[in-house]
Amino acid sequence: MALAGSALIAHTTNLDLVIRHVLAGLGHGIHAGRERGAGVEFSEYRAYVPGDEWRRVDWKLAARADRYFVREAERDSHVAVWLVLDASASMAEPSHHVDGVDKLAYARTLLGCVAAIAQRQGDAFGLIVLADGKVSFTPALRGPRQLQRVLAALERAAPSGHLPDADTLKASLHFAQSPSVIFAASDLLDWPSPLSQALLRLRQMRHDVRVLCLQTQAEAEASFPATQAYRDPEQEEGVFRFGADLRDGYRRNREAHYGAVTAGCRKHDVPLLLAAIEQAPGDVLRRWLRRPGR
Amino acid sequence: MNALWWFALPVLLLPIWWHRKKRVQNEAALMATARFLPRTEPRQTRMWRWSDPLLLVARCLLLACLIAWLADPVYPWRGDTVVIVEGSDAAWVEQQATQAGLAQAERVTLAAAQALGWVHTHEREWQAGARLLVLGDVPMPAATPVFGRQVEVRTRQALAKPADYHVHIASDRLDAWRRVFAAPAGPDRIVIDATPGAATSLIVWDRPEAPPATLRASLWLVTDPAAFPELAQAPAVDGLRYADSPRGRLWHRAGWPPPTPDAARALLDDWQQLHVGPRPFTMQSQVFAASNGANAPAPGGVLRDILLAALVILFAIERSLAHARRR
Repeated sequence: MALAGSALIAHTTNLDLVIRHVLAGLGHGIHAGRERGAGVEFSEYRAYVPGDEWRRVDWKLAARADRYFVREAERDSHVAVWLVLDASASMAEPSHHVDGVDKLAYARTLLGCVAAIAQRQGDAFGLIVLADGKVSFTPALRGPRQLQRVLAALERAAPSGHLPDADTLKASLHFAQSPSVIFAASDLLDWPSPLSQALLRLRQMRHDVRVLCLQTQAEAEASFPATQAYRDPEQEEGVFRFGADLRDGYRRNREAHYGAVTAGCRKHDVPLLLAAIEQAPGDVLRRWLRRPGR
Repeated sequence: MNALWWFALPVLLLPIWWHRKKRVQNEAALMATARFLPRTEPRQTRMWRWSDPLLLVARCLLLACLIAWLADPVYPWRGDTVVIVEGSDAAWVEQQATQAGLAQAERVTLAAAQALGWVHTHEREWQAGARLLVLGDVPMPAATPVFGRQVEVRTRQALAKPADYHVHIASDRLDAWRRVFAAPAGPDRIVIDATPGAATSLIVWDRPEAPPATLRASLWLVTDPAAFPELAQAPAVDGLRYADSPRGRLWHRAGWPPPTPDAARALLDDWQQLHVGPRPFTMQSQVFAASNGANAPAPGGVLRDILLAALVILFAIERSLAHARRR
């Protein structure tokens, strides 16, 4: 496929189209409902206990085994999916290898894919965009119109400012009452940060938290052009230079930072996926959705 | 002196300085992972960039035009020229010009007395290689003329045109006075007017009473000073007393009319020299070499009108552009 790589993100501004393209051929499903009960899809038999509904008793099996068994089916899921998008200024970092792709566009695509999958399997899903010190909140709902709402909110997100502070973020995490899956896409350049603290706290509340850390190939390989001066998008002053003499120090600092990030996630049992935005979004999405430990 | 204004040309540096953009910082690209790098000193490059180049050009031109207007420059535009004195023989002029190789040159006709002065005044208007020939009856100037360029003068004495001098004699001794004016030297003629008119340049007043107040002449010969109170305190030179009055200059000598022919000739010579003036003497043909020390007189502002018009137009343009920039 010509547009299997991340260049397809740059190919069109129509997020819906990109999502369809990424999801083509990708299996359905984020998670399996753990709860058993009345449903369509058979799961297992269970011995009858007084109080079970008679209509759930499998009469054919009763005739064969001379015992009452109750059919257990996988119940429809009521797990909410929450998408967390870091839209701070640093997410505007463009790829130096693929034109027109930046971290925010990549994160937007992947979160849009997750939303589409959640909509297909009937889960409620909501969106939290963190930008410019504020939290913008799209409440979790089901259905195709919610998908359009979420995609519109994703498209509106523009990279600006810093992450919101801890108090603002804490006030916005009221959703975490029911069991939910949280997909967070960020560059994790601030660690520990209010975002990281919130994610770890959600994990401690037994939510399924999955963090996608977006990087660029240039920053992973330390291959920035040395001819230019650089500026940190989240700091007003300060000019930086990149050169062969600074490459080792840059690598060391970066590995130390992401080492701390990885260790923090592992310690709190948060699956972390480090991905470069030059990688094909379909592959990254599959790895992100794969149940950890399998 | 005007040329000193050219030293004001460095004023043009002012708008150039104002329109030069100050320091231009290197364009810095964004790098999210810059926090892993040590901070460096920002490098700034000085680049010559211009803000509003159109306005800058207008202002520079305006200032240059103003300075040029003040300096009043002379543009050398004249080529080979033959300056012909009025009244010269056309055939002789043509022959001389052809002989000098200037038959096709521009011809300028001037009065005899002005020819050399005009050439001197305008001598910067000729191009560097232009040749200059002055033809005709050029009077000898009092001092040797000095030109900043080579000027050739070819002269031929023209036939002197006799001039008439009108004299009015108010006297009872008319014959005695007529004898005085009978035999003047040179080609000039003396006309005795019966009644004084506008052309009358000399009045002989040989009467005891005062003349009418309206009577005027440049010179009065007075025999009786009692009629002219100005002569009472007048100074005297060799017995000739002279004074200025509203009627004209008064001369008085005791014993007039002049008794002898010598005295009469002396009186006529004095009159000729002091009031009529000497007859011009034709200069000899000669070539004046270019002199380095010649100071051409200040230019007469030939280009000033053009420069003033340009100044006004440029000022309007500059104001419009500056206004458009502020909007």
